[in-house]
Amino acid sequence: MSSVDLISLRLMLNSLKQYWKKNLSLDFLQELDKKNEYPKKVIDDFYDPNILGVNYLLIPSEFGGIGGNNVAVYQLCEMLGRIDLGIATTAFATFLGCDPIRVGGTPEQNAKWMGRIAAEQMIVAYGATEADAGSDLLNLKTRAKRVEENGKITGYRITGNKQWISNGGVSDLYTILALAPGGASWFIVEKGTEGFSADKHEDKHGIRLSNTTGLALDDVYVPVDHLVGLVEGQGFVQAQAVFGYTRLMVAAMALGVGSEANETAIRYAQQRILAKGPLSEKMGYMHKLIVPHAVNLEAARCFIDRNSKRLDEINEGLQTEGAIAKYFTTEVADNCADDSIQALGGYGYTKDFSPEKLKRDIKIAKIYEGTSEILQMTIQRDRWQEHLKTKGGFYINMAREMDAVHAKNPDVGADSASLCLKGLSAILEVCRTERLTRHQHVTFKIGDLIAKAEVSHSFVIAASQDKLFEGVRFDKETYQAMARVNARETAFNVILDGIKLVTGAGNVDAHALAAQTNLIQIIQKQQQITADMDLLSVKLCEIFNAR
Amino acid sequence: MEIISLIKQVPDSTRVKVDPVTGTLIRAGVPSILNPYDHFALEQAIKLKKEHNAKLTVLSMGPPQAEEVVRLALSLGADRGILLSDRAFAGSDTWATSYTLAQAIRKIGKFDLILAGMMAIDGDTAQTGPGVAQQLRLPQITFCNELKVEGKKLIAKKLIEGGHEIVECIMPVLCTMIMPHEYHPSYPSFMSIYKAQVEKPAELWSLKNIDAEIKLLGLEGSPTRVDKIYPPVSKEKGTMYNGSPSEMVEILIQILKEEEVI
Repeated sequence: MSSVDLISLRLMLNSLKQYWKKNLSLDFLQELDKKNEYPKKVIDDFYDPNILGVNYLLIPSEFGGIGGNNVAVYQLCEMLGRIDLGIATTAFATFLGCDPIRVGGTPEQNAKWMGRIAAEQMIVAYGATEADAGSDLLNLKTRAKRVEENGKITGYRITGNKQWISNGGVSDLYTILALAPGGASWFIVEKGTEGFSADKHEDKHGIRLSNTTGLALDDVYVPVDHLVGLVEGQGFVQAQAVFGYTRLMVAAMALGVGSEANETAIRYAQQRILAKGPLSEKMGYMHKLIVPHAVNLEAARCFIDRNSKRLDEINEGLQTEGAIAKYFTTEVADNCADDSIQALGGYGYTKDFSPEKLKRDIKIAKIYEGTSEILQMTIQRDRWQEHLKTKGGFYINMAREMDAVHAKNPDVGADSASLCLKGLSAILEVCRTERLTRHQHVTFKIGDLIAKAEVSHSFVIAASQDKLFEGVRFDKETYQAMARVNARETAFNVILDGIKLVTGAGNVDAHALAAQTNLIQIIQKQQQITADMDLLSVKLCEIFNAR
Repeated sequence: MEIISLIKQVPDSTRVKVDPVTGTLIRAGVPSILNPYDHFALEQAIKLKKEHNAKLTVLSMGPPQAEEVVRLALSLGADRGILLSDRAFAGSDTWATSYTLAQAIRKIGKFDLILAGMMAIDGDTAQTGPGVAQQLRLPQITFCNELKVEGKKLIAKKLIEGGHEIVECIMPVLCTMIMPHEYHPSYPSFMSIYKAQVEKPAELWSLKNIDAEIKLLGLEGSPTRVDKIYPPVSKEKGTMYNGSPSEMVEILIQILKEEEVI
């Protein structure tokens, strides 16, 4: 149960939106971007409990925060992403910085530090990455040496360098990952501690207002009670434990960026007259640059929503779903931002319109908190185990679920989703018998296919419900058309790509595999997709009208 | 001192379109907001509350989802929030709404000052505030933009054509508020919203909570009959020009010359 009810959440998001509209114009944000400047006044307002106090949603209520659940936090992240991914990153980095304490800290450490973070409106940074330790954190070089008095550990002296640290130069508190004699461990380091300093703010491609620096730790002393959990060697476990939801939240931020780009293009398309009519009435334009992205973003939203709700129920885990959400959404949002530039033509290529900045900003979402490639690998690795454990039953069971949905509701694309999942299972089986996962390319690509198939499965389920979830802005007819388009496209792409993949990597009879994966049936399911896309063109313009 | 602030949830009319065929509002995707005039009146009420250590109750009538504006008011600083919601109230015109609100105010009991927005931006009638005053046999000062309380006396600055009047009145009194031209409403912080949720739950009142005659409520109690709703015929379309400022200035000068303005 969240401590924040739906009305409160709506009011909070509205307060944030009103602040955005009043204070954070595109010109203002572009100016900060141009100057590579951190907006201290804005961030102070974001942390001030009397102005916005956005961070309090992320702090548990027992420590003086509000303690929003995952559903509340993802909706906040989406809105922050819409406003500015740099600001979102700044706010989120505090959250991430607190995580080692929240997850691994003792109750006393939590009370002390989370209490101070709330009371003192602290900005926090998460210090894990190093020059040779990014995706491969095991290469960690920063060392924490024990300081002992009379045979008792009294503190640690930390030496090393951190890199690409969000909020690195502006934080009040840092959680630093270092290698102690007992293994990787998190340490709490306060700003101004002797020997601890931040480097210059990086000159980045996007999210330029988000402060990013290196950190230098030169024999920095911290007392023993600054070791998170008071036990050495828990660092990696603590870092891994939160990937489920941190990645869901980054996915939500990317959803915000993508949605903003897509809606900007939809509004522009209604105003730009070309050959006597608005672009929004040009089928080729809408079907290429607008509708597919709107559908994919809605698919991403439903996957994030579904798994945030699941995570609220089970409290931890869902690392694979977190990886799928982040991988899928950030790829979709990046493609969408790219096509939004295209949709605005010359205007899109200038800094006077938002897509140019959105496109630069979104790129980081495919890199931080797990690169797309690491995530593809993670997804494949986790689901491969499921496939083996269930002797191919994992996706067959999901397909059966789709068959049941289709029997009740034939309008949501469950038939296509079922074919997709069955076909995916067949492709994975060929990978097993032909030992194709020895090719890294195959593992990456399988991660991609799995992500698409599982998102589509969620979309179909959401569209088949009597009531659409909070956050969906479409009527049921439109939403179901979106789910249908997504299910058909996904089935086609996953199976065709899958066949190509295994044919390319192994000794496979493509003809037989095409039959086994029901390729022709999947192609036949594409009937009416054009009519659905036409309907969506009209509906998108109605909802995101240019006024 | 006891203040009652009347508020209404309305569609954000800047984003509503009218269906040309049916004449009804296309509400899809249009968010609901607190009527801006009521928002301003509420902020004045909160100011008076702080200055005079008053108790502030907000009252709204509407469908269940209107709880959101009551909660907004509570988050902004109201002490008590009541939403009147019942199928029996559905279809009320300003007459029936005034009656229903007045009956709820009678139930609330003691008050010194009632504030309401001058009008709601969905109906634009400006009748409900005065209607409530009439039902309660209260003096009313309409179109106010500044209020001051001195002891038992309320001093209001009231807008009139070509200027303003300063009106004094012994409370209780009902005032309707206009809002400044450049009005930026205040919104609550996350923490205020959360605290309001925990400490000041909105009260949902139905027909049972007030003493009212059924035949004076809802559609039955509403003498107004709407004949037809239609969007005003749009005037000739404006022309858009694109280009650099200097190019557009040149175009403008050209047009002004053609029109023989210069």
